[in-house]
Amino acid sequence: MPQYTPGSSLVGENRRKFMDPSKKLEKLRDIAEEDIVRMLGHRAPGEAYKSIHPPIEEMEEPECSVREMVKPTPGAAAGDRIRYVQFTDSMFFAPATPRIRPMMWFTRYRGVDPGVLSGRTIVEARERDVEAIAKEYMDNETYDTARTGLRGRTVHGHSVRLDENGVMFDALRRWSRDPNGDIKYVKDMVGGAMDKEVVLGKPLSEDELRKRTTTFRNAQGGVWMEEDDPEVADVISEIHWNRTWGGFQPFIARSDIAGNKDVGVKGLKLYTPRGGVE
Amino acid sequence: MAKIEDKVDLYDDRGNKLLGDVPITALSPLRNPAIRKICGLVARLAAVDLAGLEKRISSGAIAGKQMIIRNKGMDLDIVGKGKAIASQMKDMLEVEAGDETRADLLAGGKRLLVEVPSARILADYSAARTNVCAALTQALIDTFDVDMWKASDIKGAVWGMYPQDPAMTGSVVATLVDVPISNEGPGYTLRNIPVNHIAATVRKRAMPGACLSMVLEESACYEMGDAVGPFERGHLLDFAYEGLNANNMLFNLIKENGQDGTLGDVVYALVEKAKADGVAKPKTKLGSGYTVFGTDDLQMWNAYASTGMLAAVMVNCAAMRAGQPVPSSIMYFNEMLEHDTGLPGVDYGKAQGASVSSSFFSHSIYGGGGPGVFHGNHIVTRHAKGQFIPCFCAAMCIDADTQYFAPSRTSGLYGEVLGSIPEFAEPMKAVAEGAKEIM
Repeated sequence: MPQYTPGSSLVGENRRKFMDPSKKLEKLRDIAEEDIVRMLGHRAPGEAYKSIHPPIEEMEEPECSVREMVKPTPGAAAGDRIRYVQFTDSMFFAPATPRIRPMMWFTRYRGVDPGVLSGRTIVEARERDVEAIAKEYMDNETYDTARTGLRGRTVHGHSVRLDENGVMFDALRRWSRDPNGDIKYVKDMVGGAMDKEVVLGKPLSEDELRKRTTTFRNAQGGVWMEEDDPEVADVISEIHWNRTWGGFQPFIARSDIAGNKDVGVKGLKLYTPRGGVE
Repeated sequence: MAKIEDKVDLYDDRGNKLLGDVPITALSPLRNPAIRKICGLVARLAAVDLAGLEKRISSGAIAGKQMIIRNKGMDLDIVGKGKAIASQMKDMLEVEAGDETRADLLAGGKRLLVEVPSARILADYSAARTNVCAALTQALIDTFDVDMWKASDIKGAVWGMYPQDPAMTGSVVATLVDVPISNEGPGYTLRNIPVNHIAATVRKRAMPGACLSMVLEESACYEMGDAVGPFERGHLLDFAYEGLNANNMLFNLIKENGQDGTLGDVVYALVEKAKADGVAKPKTKLGSGYTVFGTDDLQMWNAYASTGMLAAVMVNCAAMRAGQPVPSSIMYFNEMLEHDTGLPGVDYGKAQGASVSSSFFSHSIYGGGGPGVFHGNHIVTRHAKGQFIPCFCAAMCIDADTQYFAPSRTSGLYGEVLGSIPEFAEPMKAVAEGAKEIM
């Protein structure tokens, strides 16, 4: 059985839950498929998929054993264009983090090409596969309407302070907040006009966000990895020890290397106070 | 120094056993006759586009695209006289009668494949390119009786921008290896071959493509001084398992996960295999119940990890029928492997490191480029030694022409010329046969 990732804290548990495909992620909302297409802006709702090559069945593929063993995704089989969906996750306890997104997609989807940048995470795939991912990941618990953004460009906001309502900054103002607290998209993923607004619903409460988050953060009541869940840092330290061992002499025994024989760094001195320095 | 005693069974790309109980030392590029032949041919083969040359000389586009001198055109029937040109070149290049020299016309006389004899290479492999250029220039001058006033145009059309540009931009003579000035460092010659050339050579079949690519990468590691003494075993194990489908591990990982498996499924299947074979062993149990794994044989662990990485790339890219996910597949195969076990990723973190910059350069974030034009001779790819580039070749084999830089666009000439040589077309079989000769 895979272990996925270490950690005894709630953050560790949440990370494993996101990565483990046998765990069903809670569905918090049900956005209409047509509205997903509208927000992505790759094609108009109801428009046929454009293709970049004929359906695989009609193509003469080389006599390649890998192709014969690996089934194409529905989008690849149809010859769809390659398109993308991109998310910005606020460092203020958004449920998902840039690092965890590709790992949960890679355990749950076939034929995907995720990319992690400083404050946004993109995933490219065949068009109908992208739409399926966008639908699932805007509906489920990895997406909070105030702390997660659907952003094709001008993605800035991940590390910016929240507004007075706890909503992440968006320079293009793709979304707005109704007086009743609902968040709705008034522009599409790249900030283009939409023929209809899409209501995503109310954000999660602060307590709920802290229960669902996958980010370690020594501030505002978050879980401090080094102090509260040192096992995670210990495994990272172990990986680095082993990388250095391999880079030096992979043919000797680890026990022959002078220094730490055990996992992790004992007695790690932490200079930052709890709650961080603001 | 400990003797290398590992043995493996070699399987082909369809899971059929080729040869059993092969000592991995028989797979060394320094000893295996097939690998020596492949590397020798890579350095000594040149392809000439005769039809292109004819067009170039008639239009005055002497050194390629923008190097046009109007009124300088000459109508020479180069394709028509191909036989005479080839015959004269062979005579000039031959050192001893009956040596390996050849000049064969291909594609209805439009292309010429030249093999320069190894005797011509005294110290620098560039002798293959320079001698073919010189012989072709002379053969053209003689065949068409070109006078002194026009001979320089012939020379320019053949040699390209040499000597202004030592990289010989615009030359009609193509060699798989580039000129030494284009190499990133000493020993990089065999790493300087774009993966699209290899993909075209094996007719876009992913497993033979990865194999041929790894033959060249691993051979370069020997020339770079990376496979000396106790380090050699690591290279041979990586090569056997990842490149040559040793013990059928690569094939099985793909087969088991091909229909509905994700990249993650390949990662965790590889970990289970390593545990079952005793390569990864429990070391410590942590508070959450997480077990940190260790290994008694780090080189063998690296060979397993390398095999899993290629399988993961093949499964994810083939599901998408696209080459573009290769850097992200490499990155997260390694990330997930490391965090599932505590053991290091491929080449002890270097494959993952190289995948970060490769993502940038293959997704048009820094200018135009694509995985098809990648090779091991580049600042963003060179750090992982041997295991990394075969994944790019496999990905480009699988790509259903979604990339701008597709093998058919960049490497048609190489595919036509090299694909006709058995060692290049079927490298897995050739290396196994080579091993059998010296076992």
